[in-house]
Amino acid sequence: MKTRVRAFVPLIGGLLALGAPASAHHGDAAYSAKAMEMKSCVVTEFSWMNPHSLIKFDYKTQAGEVQHWTMEIGSPPSMALLGWSRTTLRAGDVITAFVYQAKSGVLVGRTNKVILADGTVLADRDDSTPSRYGTETPQK
Amino acid sequence: MRQAFIGAMAALTAALVVSSLAVAQTAQSQNKQARSPWVYYPLDTIVGDGGPAPKRDLSGTWAGPGSTDAIPRGAPAEKPSFTSLGQQTMSQRKPIGRFGPAGTNDPTARYCDPLGFPLNFIYQNRAMSVATMPNRIVFLLQFGGFWREVWTDGRALPTKVGGEDRDSLDPTYMGYSVGHWEDDYNFVVDTTGLDERTWVLRDGTPHSVMAHVQERFTRVDHNTMKVSMTLDDPKMFTKSFSLGTYYYRWIPNQKINEWLCVPSETLKYLQEQGDPAGSYPDAQPQRLGGGGRGR
Repeated sequence: MKTRVRAFVPLIGGLLALGAPASAHHGDAAYSAKAMEMKSCVVTEFSWMNPHSLIKFDYKTQAGEVQHWTMEIGSPPSMALLGWSRTTLRAGDVITAFVYQAKSGVLVGRTNKVILADGTVLADRDDSTPSRYGTETPQK
Repeated sequence: MRQAFIGAMAALTAALVVSSLAVAQTAQSQNKQARSPWVYYPLDTIVGDGGPAPKRDLSGTWAGPGSTDAIPRGAPAEKPSFTSLGQQTMSQRKPIGRFGPAGTNDPTARYCDPLGFPLNFIYQNRAMSVATMPNRIVFLLQFGGFWREVWTDGRALPTKVGGEDRDSLDPTYMGYSVGHWEDDYNFVVDTTGLDERTWVLRDGTPHSVMAHVQERFTRVDHNTMKVSMTLDDPKMFTKSFSLGTYYYRWIPNQKINEWLCVPSETLKYLQEQGDPAGSYPDAQPQRLGGGGRGR
């Protein structure tokens, strides 16, 4: 599975670079539009839940301060379509997190993507399917 | 000799028809992992039409809008024309798409309240089962684990719901529904008695208890079902309007997974993520994440 996902890394990366259209399910106006990269984050909790799953992790700044972050991804049915599962992350896992931080300045954010220790990239979004619906319309 | 040739051709044609039907009902799997009969795999989508629609039968388990891109595009709801009461009620609504989890007063987003009908057939109905009983058809919804009864025994819709009279029925989240087969492939459902706490659309569009929703379920073929919905509510709208058209496709293994709105999880999400992030209703809308397809 991870091998298959890895094969889509360039595609996902390219798609993420395309930017965000002006539509939102939960309204992402609370978050910065520019993702920040945080390396060597240590996962402390992964809650696979509704309405949105949460990833908690510790991040050590260059000044040596350990920050406790929470970032959300989509609902389990949505994220399962992108390769996520209940067992994707465990406490102690080391990841690189790309996060849109809340404008309020608190340490919460919307996930852009995470890179697991083995290089697997998991995105929070699939821009290859911009519509809720497909394009086929059967005739009757 | 000629008869033998014709017989052989007929047998070949029959074999081709049978094999094409078999192919038409085969799932299209997007990966080769082992499959469990206990799991719903939304990416395993059905291929083809599966043959002609069965008569007067919607029974089965169906993938709905947003489950994958294999679901055909329907039509969105029309923009309603509000009465003064409708406009006034609408002005008090703070939809999550603009206000975010922290600022919305959407009862489902904040408290896990049921979406109720008709919103639960418009939003997040990614999968459902339909079961036919002798006197009703029952819709079993994945999101929230709710069910809805549509009576087919010829009874009339109630005329008094939510009023002060002693014989007035209670409003309900699913309403009161009756249905009939207009022909072999079209099932028409009328519903009223809807709890006014529910929103008709995600933008907060309101309704009164005696709003009338009419649905037309069309069994297009074995693998496809189409649902068109209209709403009539003179208290809130100056004219009836379409709630949209939605397609459903047969799920290959006929299994759907549990997907609930759990109050303790919603509370956790709001306390640890949604509320701290804040509300910015006047900011430019943007979509940063949330997954693929139906999100």
